[in-house]
Amino acid sequence: MVNAPQLLQVDVVTSAEQERRESARRGDRAARRQSILQKLGIIIPFVLVLLAGIVLVPSFLSASNITNMLVDGAILAITAYGMTMVIALRGIDLSVGSTQAVVACVAAVSVNAWGILPGILAGIAAAIILGLVNGLIVTTFRVPAFIATLATLGIFRGIALLFTGGAPIMITDSAFRSIATSSIFGIPVPFIVAVLVGAGFWFVLDRMRFGKHVVAVGGSPESATDSGIKVKRIELIAYVVAAAAAGVAGLLLASQLGSVNGSLSSGLELQAIAVVVLGGTSMAGGRGNIIGTFLASLLLAMINAGLNLLNVPSFYQYIALGMLLVFALSLDSAQRAAVRRVFEGRVA
Amino acid sequence: MTTTAPTIKTEAKEAATKTSATSTILSLISHQYLLAVVVVAFVVVGLIQPSFFGAGNVQNILFETAFVGIAACGMVLLITGGLLDLSVGGVIAVSAIAVGTVLPYTTIGLAILIAVVIGAVLGLVNGLLVSYVKIAPFIATLGTLYLFLGVAFIWTGGQVVSVTSSNFRALTTGSLGVLPYPFLTLIVLALLTYFLLSRTSFGRTLRAMGSNQRAAELAGMHVNLTKAIVFMVAGACFALAGVFLAGRLSSAEANMATGIEMSVIAAVVVGGTSLRGGRGTVFGTVIGAMLFAVLSKALNMLGVTSYWQYIVTGAVLVVAVAIGARRRSAAEVRGAG
Repeated sequence: MVNAPQLLQVDVVTSAEQERRESARRGDRAARRQSILQKLGIIIPFVLVLLAGIVLVPSFLSASNITNMLVDGAILAITAYGMTMVIALRGIDLSVGSTQAVVACVAAVSVNAWGILPGILAGIAAAIILGLVNGLIVTTFRVPAFIATLATLGIFRGIALLFTGGAPIMITDSAFRSIATSSIFGIPVPFIVAVLVGAGFWFVLDRMRFGKHVVAVGGSPESATDSGIKVKRIELIAYVVAAAAAGVAGLLLASQLGSVNGSLSSGLELQAIAVVVLGGTSMAGGRGNIIGTFLASLLLAMINAGLNLLNVPSFYQYIALGMLLVFALSLDSAQRAAVRRVFEGRVA
Repeated sequence: MTTTAPTIKTEAKEAATKTSATSTILSLISHQYLLAVVVVAFVVVGLIQPSFFGAGNVQNILFETAFVGIAACGMVLLITGGLLDLSVGGVIAVSAIAVGTVLPYTTIGLAILIAVVIGAVLGLVNGLLVSYVKIAPFIATLGTLYLFLGVAFIWTGGQVVSVTSSNFRALTTGSLGVLPYPFLTLIVLALLTYFLLSRTSFGRTLRAMGSNQRAAELAGMHVNLTKAIVFMVAGACFALAGVFLAGRLSSAEANMATGIEMSVIAAVVVGGTSLRGGRGTVFGTVIGAMLFAVLSKALNMLGVTSYWQYIVTGAVLVVAVAIGARRRSAAEVRGAG
């Protein structure tokens, strides 16, 4: 009789412990499944496309095509890094293409007028201003990110077209034009830039307090606010960084093309979002995967180059891109559903 | 000191009644101010440029209103349900190309029917992606926008499909007095949309879903089915806009409606429908469409470069949503997730 309450207590303790162990196990399983799906999501398509390219596409491994793919992939990757940060924050930036057009046009005119360094600085400054506009509309005026950046997509495009008057601008400075076309030890400069910028982004997102805050805000803005994170400041900085990244990519693109116009990079947002999601960053926020974004950018560059070499009309690239995005998003939602199932296993 | 408590109470009560009174007045004004803005803009531009009042220009404005408005009738249903569709431009292009392609072989009625069915099928694709694959609406439809554009490009090989049937052109561009047929269609469609949204159980489900999806699910509503259906209805509306646009341009091509999604969403939002879902105003949507038509024709008439239209539409959209967000200090919409 005396032992009964003690027994009960012991029972409660063991069951609580069991419960805790059980939930830890579920958490592990969820994390494992998530990371498997995440890795499969990018590595399998990457290998498949690479093999298909080597087998099916003539001169896929020629030096010029490899350089081409590395440069295109690098320019896309730099834009996509910024997008990764914004999506990890549970935001979105649909205006990256228009931002890139404005930056490229401003840089082209400035390079022609004042030389290479002031031109680059003017381009970056323009990017930061546009990023501030996006950030302020989202944070101060509380407009949902996708609608705010849909509007600025139009506004910035209009600015780019007004700025150029609809005519292309030739870049006369040969030093500027050689940035994207030169290479160091056989590796194209844009690729080196993409790796360095990617390393920077990875370090910030994975190792620095700011990155932890970004992920925290993306995971749950309410809890982030409650734990004293300055959510609005983090958001503002992320949008500025995203625009700056798109701007750097725009400079490289201007340098690569040698001539820019107001309708440059239209539709870029879709490519950037596609590679970010394909790289394993969830649209639900709270997780950013820079390495995945980098690999996915190269994957998309391989697909585009392969289709070009096969002389497939460029319309089919739209279809390929749309399918890729839908595939990546289905995987993302399947991944989330898998995690949900593991956690809610008993309930369901 | 003893009197402070009651004073505070009465003050609070007064403040409460005052805020409710002001909010009623505000909501009244906010319902009517848009119409006032449209009329004032129309009159002011007319005073500067008298030809703005000409019958031809008024008809142009009504045409423009009709194209955006017909598509916006579908969009207002989606936004009320907490959804969104960015693939408007793709659906319009595919359906217009369908009309242009089949017209030489069939009757006009059948051609229009085919286009509308194609629009509904494309809408179904969106609906399935959003409801059963569970992709966030704006991102799923951004993907399908490019898919549909790709289909349109491949179908036409990048060429322009010309619409030669004069009967079809007469039907889609004719007018009753000063009112063009597309505008009359818009009025009928708006009435139907209003009826669907506020007088049917489908509309009720839609509104419930828009204000709280989880609650709607727990209440036993068929949320996924409703989503699929509303995307189909919206697709059919976009296709109808495409049919009239094909008649007006007497041609169809893949690029014919690029960027129209922004005008359509802007018309809905400016009209007073909240992006957070749960309620929608069809009347406001039509007025919103009219506002953008007046603005764009005014910019044309005043000789402003067409590039400014991007900037004006975007700026009006941001301002409208920002005002809406200011009015309700509740948590913001999350596009993703």
